[in-house]
Amino acid sequence: MPGVSPRPLALALLALAGALAVALSLAVGSVPIHGAELWAVFTGGGDPLHRELLLSLRLPRALAAFATGGLLGLAGALMQVLLRNPLADPYVLGLSGGAAVGALGAMLLGAAAVWVPGAAFVGALLSTVLVFGLAQGVGGWTPTRLLLTGVVVAAGWGAVVTFLLTLSPAERLPGMLYWLMGDLSYARSPWPAWLLLVPAALLVVPLGRGLNVLARGPLLAASLGVAVRPLEITVYVLASALTAMAVSTAGSVGFVGLVVPHMLRLALGNDQRLILPASVLAGGALLTLADTLARTLLAPQQLPVGVITALLGVPTFLLLLYRSR
Amino acid sequence: MPRSPLFRALLQVLGLVSLAVWARAEVCVDDDVDRRVCLEQPARRIVALSPGATELLYDAGAGDRLVGAVSFSDYPSEAKALPRVGSYKRLDLEAILALKPDLVVAWVSGNPATQVERLETLGLNVYRGEPLRFAEVADTLERLAVLAGTEPAGRAAAARFRDGITELRDRFAGADPVTVFYEVWEEPLMTVNGEHLISEAIRTCGGVNVFADLPGLAPRIGTEAVIAADPEAIVAGGMGENNPAWLTPWKRFRALTAVQRENLFFVPPSTLQRPTPQMLEGTRLLCDHLERARARR
Amino acid sequence: MTVLTTQDLVIDIPGRADGRPLTLRVAPGQRWGVLGPNGVGKTTLLHTLAGLRAPRAGRVLLDDTPLEALKRKRVAQRLALVFQDRQDGFPATVLETALIGRHPFLAPWRREGAEDLLLAREALAALAVSHLADRLVTTLSGGERQRVAIATALAQTPSVWLADEPTNHLDLHHQVAVMKLLRERAGRGAAVVMGLHDLNLAARWCDHLLLLYPDGQHCFGPAEAMLEPTALARLYGQPLTMARVGGAPVFVPADPAPGASDDRP
Repeated sequence: MPGVSPRPLALALLALAGALAVALSLAVGSVPIHGAELWAVFTGGGDPLHRELLLSLRLPRALAAFATGGLLGLAGALMQVLLRNPLADPYVLGLSGGAAVGALGAMLLGAAAVWVPGAAFVGALLSTVLVFGLAQGVGGWTPTRLLLTGVVVAAGWGAVVTFLLTLSPAERLPGMLYWLMGDLSYARSPWPAWLLLVPAALLVVPLGRGLNVLARGPLLAASLGVAVRPLEITVYVLASALTAMAVSTAGSVGFVGLVVPHMLRLALGNDQRLILPASVLAGGALLTLADTLARTLLAPQQLPVGVITALLGVPTFLLLLYRSR
Repeated sequence: MPRSPLFRALLQVLGLVSLAVWARAEVCVDDDVDRRVCLEQPARRIVALSPGATELLYDAGAGDRLVGAVSFSDYPSEAKALPRVGSYKRLDLEAILALKPDLVVAWVSGNPATQVERLETLGLNVYRGEPLRFAEVADTLERLAVLAGTEPAGRAAAARFRDGITELRDRFAGADPVTVFYEVWEEPLMTVNGEHLISEAIRTCGGVNVFADLPGLAPRIGTEAVIAADPEAIVAGGMGENNPAWLTPWKRFRALTAVQRENLFFVPPSTLQRPTPQMLEGTRLLCDHLERARARR
Repeated sequence: MTVLTTQDLVIDIPGRADGRPLTLRVAPGQRWGVLGPNGVGKTTLLHTLAGLRAPRAGRVLLDDTPLEALKRKRVAQRLALVFQDRQDGFPATVLETALIGRHPFLAPWRREGAEDLLLAREALAALAVSHLADRLVTTLSGGERQRVAIATALAQTPSVWLADEPTNHLDLHHQVAVMKLLRERAGRGAAVVMGLHDLNLAARWCDHLLLLYPDGQHCFGPAEAMLEPTALARLYGQPLTMARVGGAPVFVPADPAPGASDDRP
């Protein structure tokens, strides 16, 4: 029945799209590797160079891209429900700004690249605590207050980022600017992202119906038995952790977190029990595909992945919006 | 440019004026954007708007005439004591004016063009430099020496640089080519194309830059592209003067020729990444490394 | 069957004095109307009775348990509130909206079952909005949305109904239908409390009345005892004339006294 049933078909199709995106990402690159050779590598044989290429370059990167996209899609969907604002994205509460200050600060101090994700994660969490603390105010927080606090704190981080860029020596600038654009080449290991994504995706399933009710407004939700404040805090903490992990894996990749949940709502309706897991799969598939194109379209030159996500996402989104009721 | 009678008359007047000041030892050179820079007398108070320009001025014997420099001007070490006039990206015009310089050495691609123009409209003499070839590095030393009135020192420095490069070039002219990947930056992975001065250093040593044909001076590339190119040697700068950490991650690609033969070489970034006479030192190091690579065949 | 009681309850309206604490018992089968001029706190009282607002003093009990000792979910299984304002969140269909009435009865990991779906569809049918089931709520008219909101509460199968202006936006036909529905729920043992600004609806459909005065005073009792023109005139600051139509009392404003102010919309 439309609008109510779990529609496992939609999720299955999205999972298939994700699997295809990962497969494509494994199959293409500067070094051509043919199907039989691919198979040989994954069955334990194959040319040592191809093995190394696939297992330590393409596979980790594809997995990191999928996890990052999934984290951002889920975080975006959660933020939009939490703030009941369709313009919300994972970065709206200043998280990416805090992460950028952490990452660029580490780069400016000359820290080795291994430390940058950690610094970004700490910056993102710091920003979360700061925004949450400030939004508490005298009378407790409301979505509007949280949003305003986040936007202003984000503006503050923006200024600090500009300041850091000003202080930095010429040769470090490109690295910093590319980090700000977001890029999967920063991904060192996909596992931390997956370790967070999988439990988070499982956790949001039982939260889904409560979020459906919360999306109608906090008073109505409370009258229907939702423990509004604990649920909102859970969602905030969860979305923040997801975003912090995404940003520290790949820099602030834009667009996925804002548009993927909206695309899915236009296509699948507004049942969070469907939208939340679908956002994980669609975000992962989109970012994996975009990253594959970013590194192969003009190979050996690499494009920023944000360019491709926008190129793929903007027309799709506008088409869905145009055709929607 | 219109050649109106009025303009011609103006030129004549200017010519007379310049004749009139000839007696006062006027010095003139053409800068890298083909503008003529003339000073009534050799410069005594010079402000350098890039770390590279500072270094070139010291090498040209004009170090004692420098009165201001931008942040990160750290070579030679005396330069660290110079008063600062902002960063090369954002100049402190007031600080520059307050130093009353009679010559400003600007960096074409680095300094904001509008700020440099502003300095000119404020009546300062501006030399715009952008040495893109070894020959231009040497020329720049000579030209700056002319403007500073230190020609003997400048000529000597230029000659040392030219001779050093020529010697290397001659030595490796017949050497077997070595394919080289030069890593400018690790994350994101960046290299240089054939137009870059570093690529000239590679050529000088008989090396072949595997990414010479890419557009853009410092293109961003993927790890896989390096593997596909399978260079014989991988040369990296780094985050510091003595930090070859960027070479380590390559070691896991054991199938790479450069890894199998242990041709992973570090060259301190300051000796290759600034268009100054230090590049002679960096190029020598690079040539030694490539010789080692040839020996390991 | 649930009894809703208040003990020395003072609702919290910022900037207003406590007034007289309210001790009230709403028994199963009773239909209460809460009357009073604009801004007197009808909505605040209903929200406080539902446990959505903390009282300034006193407490609200469902049967003999104070609200704050109950989990929100337990409260929602027995008590429903129909809001006066619609909050517009993300768009959802009419059927989805009615189904959220089943939320309190489902464990987090459980989906709505056939029984829940049946209840939701029956509720939509009872409010004559079945034909809108697949429409987005945001595309409905005010009256249609009001009926969907009541259908949601109906799907919640509460034993205590709190309805804030349940006839808002409804034309006469649907006003009557909704009031009949609430009377029928009361007939089956539900306790019903309605906030109403229309005196005549209260007179026609309620068996008990609670009058809230702007100075924080109140009085309550069986409807026939409370429908006293002079008391009601004091309540609204408006002289009233009473007539009887088909046996039910009807109140109309008397000629306004010269210079008397009238702040009713």
